[in-house]
Amino acid sequence: MLQLFIAYQPLIDLFLLHSGLALAQYLVLRAGVFSIANAGLTAIGAYLAAGLTLKAGLHPALAMMLGAMAGMLVSMLLSLPLARLRGVYQAIATLAFVQVVLSLNVYAEGLTGGAMGMNGIPKVVSTWTLLIALACTLYIVWAINQTRLGRAFDAIRQDETVATSLGTSVRYYQTVAFALSGGIAGFYGGLEAFHSYSIEPSRFGFEFVVAILSYVVLGGRRSIWGPLVGTAVMLALPELARPLAEYRTLVYGLIMVLVMGYLPRGVYDTFVEFLYRRRIARMDRAAMASSAGGSP
Amino acid sequence: MNTLVLDQVSKHFGGVVAADKVSMKIPPGRITGLIGPNGAGKSTIVNLITGMMSLTAGTVRLGDRDLTTTPPHEISRAGLARTFQNIRLFKEAPAIDNVMGGFHRHEDSSLLASILALPSARAETRRIRAQAGELLERFNMTRYASFPAGGLAYGHQRRVEFMRALASQPTVLLLDEPVAGMNDVEANELGVIFKQLAADGMAVLLIEHNMRFVTRLCEHVYVLDGGRLIAEGEPKKVIADPAVVAAYLGT
Repeated sequence: MLQLFIAYQPLIDLFLLHSGLALAQYLVLRAGVFSIANAGLTAIGAYLAAGLTLKAGLHPALAMMLGAMAGMLVSMLLSLPLARLRGVYQAIATLAFVQVVLSLNVYAEGLTGGAMGMNGIPKVVSTWTLLIALACTLYIVWAINQTRLGRAFDAIRQDETVATSLGTSVRYYQTVAFALSGGIAGFYGGLEAFHSYSIEPSRFGFEFVVAILSYVVLGGRRSIWGPLVGTAVMLALPELARPLAEYRTLVYGLIMVLVMGYLPRGVYDTFVEFLYRRRIARMDRAAMASSAGGSP
Repeated sequence: MNTLVLDQVSKHFGGVVAADKVSMKIPPGRITGLIGPNGAGKSTIVNLITGMMSLTAGTVRLGDRDLTTTPPHEISRAGLARTFQNIRLFKEAPAIDNVMGGFHRHEDSSLLASILALPSARAETRRIRAQAGELLERFNMTRYASFPAGGLAYGHQRRVEFMRALASQPTVLLLDEPVAGMNDVEANELGVIFKQLAADGMAVLLIEHNMRFVTRLCEHVYVLDGGRLIAEGEPKKVIADPAVVAAYLGT
């Protein structure tokens, strides 16, 4: 058992890290914002946390907290111009933001180490740290679902006009979604930095955006378990079929096309939907039987 | 008690006049009717009142409060609720979740309590769920509570939307063709409820095609044609007005 754990530890760590990032992505999508800015926010969190520790000697925990706060702050700033855009235009604008962060990290050599990135970051984040972090993230995402925040997010995502007519301030709630998502993304950037000894700009580029997005698209966007299932499947696939590992991005692309075409709600949500429909059909039959002749 | 007042309200889309100097009063305690042929601008009036569209000229007031340039979500918070001409529900969500959405105006748990699901925020969710359940029961819809709203029969969808509007406990209720596509029996059932709401002190604006329905329910009717008010007053007199007859039947 222990040996199995050690053999798969890198994969488990990757799963825990990317699950958190997938949940951050899920949060904005849930509130009806099509933002893929999280890669940039994660980069900001990672660079800030690593830089503060390496160059200013800050305690890693404090540095990570500041990284999370930076992610939150930048995300809130980003939400101001994005409030004027909708749908695919938000995606394009946020992709541009990711590219800007990437370029800044390459060009600001003095601060970021340029294309070589930052090296010699102390590894203070263990599997346990990641596990606790993911548990906390899951709790917050779950908690939001139980309260007025989740209801407002759902209302805005499903029909913005109706949500507004019920007194929901779209701008306010989407800013909250941005802040939470950015904070989580920034925090996981710090975790990643203190977990992998080194960071470099290209790690938080387009491929990263696609990977994180694919977890949520594959898993599902409604239940909080969707992103986790998506992450698990996407990370397991190249492991199960070793020859595929080389064509990782190709496989990701193919899966995305197939899922969007045939399971637009994602694997997990489609499954939940199936169970739900079956339950409803049973209830319907029961109702029909008890009030014979009553129309549904 | 607050009266909703429209004063010389106009809306132009380029050269097209959707509403032209429309003045109306929608006082509490009665059902005010708004009728007119297709394309007369009835729904435009609702969109102007609720802030979904901006006014070109004129003012909208609720009591002493000027709502002319208030953003739509704050207009709702001021106590206005509406239904839509083409039913707009959260289709994937269960019926009860749709009704719970209507309570948004009365949710006041703090942001931190909501993010961490503190007891106060969870209690709020339970309270609202119970209240939504009561509403469903009052409208005989309890058995559909967990059904996805988009899959319900047409009449039931109308009812869910109406309950959602009612859930916000509005002082002014704007009903955009609430009985369209219903038969007389179903329409009359709802009519009784509308009358009860008005009797309890709500200001109700009823937009309708069905003349018989309007005549029976409303004390005061406005007639709109081509964005202009062409008549107002007691339903029976208004219907006999030659201008109204001409608008409906053509000259």
